Amino acid sequence: MLHSSLLELLEGSDPTQINISTVPVLERSELQPGRRGGGGGEGAEEADCPFRFSPHSLTLCEYIINISKYILFHLFLTFFSVSEFRCHITSCKQLFDTLEGYEHHYNSLHRHVCSNCKRSFPSNHLLDIHIQEWHDSLFQVMAEKQCMVIFIFKERGKRRNLKPSTVLFTFYLFSKTKEKRTPQQREDCMAVSSLEVSQHRETENCEEMDISLPQESEKPELVPSQQPKPRYSYRVPSSICFGQGSVRGFRGGRKKK
Amino acid sequence: MWRLQAVQHKASRSAKDLEEFKHKRREHEKALRQARRDRQLISKRVLLNEDEHQEREFMETDASPLSQEQLQEMIRNVQHGGEEKAARLAFLRKVLRDPQTHLIFTKLENSMYVLVGQLSGHNAQCQLEAARCFYELSHSPHPGVGQSCLPATPYLLTYLSNPNAKLTELCLYTLGNLWTEGAKVRERLLAQGIVCALTNCIQNQRNNLAVVEAAGFTLSQLLQDKEAADRVIQQVVSSGLVPHLISYLKPDPEFGLGPAIECAWCLHYIVSRTCDASALLTQGVLERCSSLLVTLGGAVVKGSTEEGLELLLWPLLRCLGNLLASGVCEGGRCPVGLEDARLLAALCVFSQAYLPTHSALTRESLWVLNNLTAGSTLFCSALLFFNVVPALIPLLPFSKGINIMVLRILGNVAHNGTGYCAQLTQAGLLPAICATLKMADPDVVTMSLEVLYLLIASSPNVTEEFIKLNGIQLMETIQYNNDEEQRLRASYLLDNYLHIHSIPNN
Repeated sequence: MLHSSLLELLEGSDPTQINISTVPVLERSELQPGRRGGGGGEGAEEADCPFRFSPHSLTLCEYIINISKYILFHLFLTFFSVSEFRCHITSCKQLFDTLEGYEHHYNSLHRHVCSNCKRSFPSNHLLDIHIQEWHDSLFQVMAEKQCMVIFIFKERGKRRNLKPSTVLFTFYLFSKTKEKRTPQQREDCMAVSSLEVSQHRETENCEEMDISLPQESEKPELVPSQQPKPRYSYRVPSSICFGQGSVRGFRGGRKKK
Repeated sequence: MWRLQAVQHKASRSAKDLEEFKHKRREHEKALRQARRDRQLISKRVLLNEDEHQEREFMETDASPLSQEQLQEMIRNVQHGGEEKAARLAFLRKVLRDPQTHLIFTKLENSMYVLVGQLSGHNAQCQLEAARCFYELSHSPHPGVGQSCLPATPYLLTYLSNPNAKLTELCLYTLGNLWTEGAKVRERLLAQGIVCALTNCIQNQRNNLAVVEAAGFTLSQLLQDKEAADRVIQQVVSSGLVPHLISYLKPDPEFGLGPAIECAWCLHYIVSRTCDASALLTQGVLERCSSLLVTLGGAVVKGSTEEGLELLLWPLLRCLGNLLASGVCEGGRCPVGLEDARLLAALCVFSQAYLPTHSALTRESLWVLNNLTAGSTLFCSALLFFNVVPALIPLLPFSKGINIMVLRILGNVAHNGTGYCAQLTQAGLLPAICATLKMADPDVVTMSLEVLYLLIASSPNVTEEFIKLNGIQLMETIQYNNDEEQRLRASYLLDNYLHIHSIPNN
């Protein structure tokens, strides 16, 4: 509810009360500079003052850019920009002359940003996967216990020698010893590859984004309190099919021959 | 064998192919986005008259689309109708209400020729019925149907100055719909002088608000188009149409808000594209926008459920906000036209009333308030004098840019120094800031720190009060935040204001 004085104002009609020129204008004054212990010079404090705010009006374009992370752009495109403007994200200085160009830029580079490490991703799905991989402690714990597979995207088999009903998955494999790895070891352990999964498996696997692959004989070596050696996991469960005549494993493929 | 050796693996493509692929993909996505945007933004007007309600019932009983032969027969009937032409045209019009007939009709050999003939004939009733037929075709969902109406456009334009208001109205909506049918149609209409015809129409038909609304709609379609906008705006401004548009910015108690809505959108498009707003300012646009907003504010407070209120608020707020952004408010003087302090109250009313339903309206009202107060000691003093701050503080918990905008406004006020900060503190701002400092959005926290700095730097009393609210602990927590901007600001406050203040004197 509005304060009664505001309501009175709105309903008022007395010209002396509603004319803004009758409002007493308060005197303006400058800010008091901060005082460091020991009394440093004022000039030195002003130089390293991190505060940047100054009152300024915003054009509709600037207003939209400032709230870009909260809005869907295309609903504002009944407005056209007059002149060039910059992306308002501090580290990005790119210039634009249309709102559509800025929309595309913002959606690809600034909308799906990891708040922890500031990396940007072109889609929400990839951002989710990144967060799970790097910043999700529950996922880390689960990955310790068993291999985790996350599907990045799937597409219908369009290539000549695949049946149309097959579904291709591209995925990351997280093996158990992920946490202790150096970046180089990590690179070796992760396999990124396209697999062919036959149709009748689709209903089992593709509904969930994460599936855990049962591992058979490696449990004795994975007591968490020990430092396990980096292990390469070549075992693939029987539920995944690499196509007729293929070797069942994750080796090869990433390095060019 | 490893499958990837047989099938071309993505990694083995050359860099050049990859670039090309990416480029094509981007172009494709751009086209998809443009198409989606166009579908959402391009609006066509579909009128529903009273007599058509009964006719719709009639149509529903006979749902099968007509065949080519049947349509051909109907056209022949119209051509050779004699006394019955008008009635046969009316029947044709009813048939054309079914979009499935449009494609067949427009492809028939004689169809458009006959229709244009009736439109351009001497019989007023036939003209009206023919115009109705073209109107039905103009909002056809099928692409290309609109283009086939091009032969009719010279006559449609001529009738914009016809004494028959109903005919004029129909022609206006038809032209407004046809404008969206592609570049070819737009070029043709511009060449045929659509802007001039619309200008004359709006200037001369003051007494007929239905015509004014229709003309406003059509003009707004022209102004919305990015490619034509510059040419259109130039012609509109030089023809002296702007004062007329401004004069329609008042609600008519009998007719409703329609004309005001359309004219407001036209003004918004003109203002947002105009580099030099000074010419517009001299024509009284500020005063008219402000007074209409005050009227609408009063209506909203009384709980008005009038249809279209929000549709009028969007363009008015944007118009005013954009005009203010040209810096008219700065300093201690009041710009001509904004003397009515009730505008502040109206903006607060909108920001509260629309929060649950249209939170973007809340944000835009606050944006206008920001533009009013930025650099203006007069409006900042008025904000304090009329107790606006207690109306703003409850908006601070709301995200999606609302709290950022409120913080900007408060920052605008606090920036003016001690007197202003003292009143802000009295109004209870400090506890509210302590709450926003704990929010998740880093932009909100950074902006809160900016406002806090202004408050603290204004007087030691404020610092004391902040410390009593556990301010030091709050700042120390922020010092460990991920965000460097926040850490720097918190450290600065602690080093320069907070720790100094809390050191006991020996």
